[in-house]
Amino acid sequence: MGWPLVNNVLLSLRKVTLRELISRDVVWVGFDNYRTILADPAFWDAVVRSVLFTAACAATTMVVGVLMALLLVRLPRFPKLVLSISLVLAWATPVLAATTVFQWLFDTDFGVVNWLLARVGLDTEGHSWFSTGRSTFLVAGLLVVWQAVPLVVFSISAALATVPPELDEAAVIDGATASQRWWTITFPLVRPMIGVLAFLQVIWDFKAFTQVYAMRRGGPDSSTTTLPILIYQEGLARSQFGLAAAASVVTVAILLVLLALYVRSAVRAEEVR
Amino acid sequence: MKQRWTAPALVAAVGLTLALSACGGDAKSGSGDAAEKNALTVWLMNGSVPDKVVQSVNADLAKQHPGATVTVEVQEWNGIQDKLTTALAGNNPPDVIEMGNTQNAKFSQSGALLDLDADKAKLGIDQWSKGMASSGVWDGKTYGAPLLAANRVVIYRTDLFEKAGVTVPKTFDEWVAATTKLNQANAATKDFQGIYLPGQSWYVYAGLLWDAGGDLAVKDGDSWKGGLDTPAAAEAIGKYKQLQSLSKAPKDADEATPQQFEVFAEGNVAQMIGLPWEMGSAVGANKKLDGKVAVFPIPSSSADKSGSVFLGGSNLGISAGSDSPKLAADWLALMTGEKYQTELALASNVVPNRTALLSKLTDPTAKIMAGAAANGHVTPVDPRWAGVEAGANPVKDYMTAVLTGTDPAAAGTKASAEITKRMSGAL
Repeated sequence: MGWPLVNNVLLSLRKVTLRELISRDVVWVGFDNYRTILADPAFWDAVVRSVLFTAACAATTMVVGVLMALLLVRLPRFPKLVLSISLVLAWATPVLAATTVFQWLFDTDFGVVNWLLARVGLDTEGHSWFSTGRSTFLVAGLLVVWQAVPLVVFSISAALATVPPELDEAAVIDGATASQRWWTITFPLVRPMIGVLAFLQVIWDFKAFTQVYAMRRGGPDSSTTTLPILIYQEGLARSQFGLAAAASVVTVAILLVLLALYVRSAVRAEEVR
Repeated sequence: MKQRWTAPALVAAVGLTLALSACGGDAKSGSGDAAEKNALTVWLMNGSVPDKVVQSVNADLAKQHPGATVTVEVQEWNGIQDKLTTALAGNNPPDVIEMGNTQNAKFSQSGALLDLDADKAKLGIDQWSKGMASSGVWDGKTYGAPLLAANRVVIYRTDLFEKAGVTVPKTFDEWVAATTKLNQANAATKDFQGIYLPGQSWYVYAGLLWDAGGDLAVKDGDSWKGGLDTPAAAEAIGKYKQLQSLSKAPKDADEATPQQFEVFAEGNVAQMIGLPWEMGSAVGANKKLDGKVAVFPIPSSSADKSGSVFLGGSNLGISAGSDSPKLAADWLALMTGEKYQTELALASNVVPNRTALLSKLTDPTAKIMAGAAANGHVTPVDPRWAGVEAGANPVKDYMTAVLTGTDPAAAGTKASAEITKRMSGAL
């Protein structure tokens, strides 16, 4: 497990381009790669984009996922089956295929979304969803959330199944409202599961490459160039493997810091209770 | 906890050092005067050279070198860059490789290929057409031999031209007038487009830019400067906008999304700017177009010459780690020589690497394409150009910005700065 990581760190301290790979020269450059990256304003722009994108996607995924899980356990048998199958299908769609489908859904001239919105009276004919970074992020984010929600729904609904129904019944008899029951009975019991899922979502969304890259290759005007795309563009496409390794080490470090903050606040919250 | 991690890390670090030094040792012993082997491994791309031509080349080589064997391995384009990188950095690289002409600079610069200038006379380097040969040159030395090329032409509907009383235009202004007339004559047809030209067909824009005397990037010492903030760039995008305004194609998409030949195949498009194979694909998708489609060269501002075009194609190179470089050079000389260039061009309808051979082409479409190739250019020959195309392509963003109303000067300054930035930095 640790070997690729160690190798990556060592790589980040070397100048490795195709030339070095072919000549087999090992050129140690110390922290030059890190200096280059950290001095690049485009890198920090990408960090901000990545953090915001991750926060928005992970939060939306969790909220939608939990709400749908609550819906799922309450549905009668047949609608439940239909919803479950739809979720599995969304989950099972290959990422690249799903991205292509979303691109067409939001296409300027032939997209179903523009057509539907025009039907309900909005002036969306010929609206370009990919003309600004924000709007491109919106589409990419929808796609990421759409594919991430099923796992959350199934995991949470499994967790909900472990909540003893007697507790809920007792609370109903005591006259507790639905929201009171959720916050005092159900939520504390599924909380660990929510915590784990949110943790995973943050990791997955932070390193989401395919969806964002395939959507507009980090455009327009590099406005959707997140960290993974920047690493690909600066490092791999230009064969600057050392630089790419350094950028990936920094990415992991940022992710670790974010997760450490998250875990700390989660533990704190636990202690307060 | 801490102790548990230190031991493996130490082992790993030591292991890596050993592995790396071992690699270094290998390279030294490998690059000595090892005896030339009488066997070649050649990597060709799928669909580039017909099997029949390859067989004849191999047979000719065997006549020159009795007992020589050639193993041809056909590669797929998908993922070829990584595959070539891995193979060339490996211990036993193929002797001859085919690569996309825009990838050549990367392999030339990195020392992966042999300098071909020693075999200058044998290869006939002086006879190669300049546009095609330029992609194989790095730092004044030749590392790539042009194998074949193709370039864009205007694919048009002969029946629609006839009906609208329009003839094949000879200049850019005539072209705009003809397209306008086509639109007027077919105003009653829903979804009719005199030309299908999406906003990000950037190779078409590059042609207009070269025509105006500009370039995508200009070499400035060791680095490059973006060329979209120049008067030439503004003139070129002005022309592009003029032509694009006659199309209903999206301003924020390139020619592949959707594939323009599919739009053309629907039957309501009179022209598109594409590669000759797209004509075949369009007819394949709609048989009714059979016999109603032809091509003409992209017009320039003057009737004397056709417009500048981007030359897509591939080159051959000899890997630096080849164990039979002399045999490889002889194979290369045959494949890129007059005899087999003619055979290849006739069999595949591609542009051969010698201008002198253009007259031998028989297919009318290939003839027109090859004629226009005389005014062919390539993207900046530098490994760092790949970085410009890899992410969000600033040229495409520039085009969409101007087409949707941004001032060309402002958009050009921004795009140029981005190109300059991506093409700077150490190699």
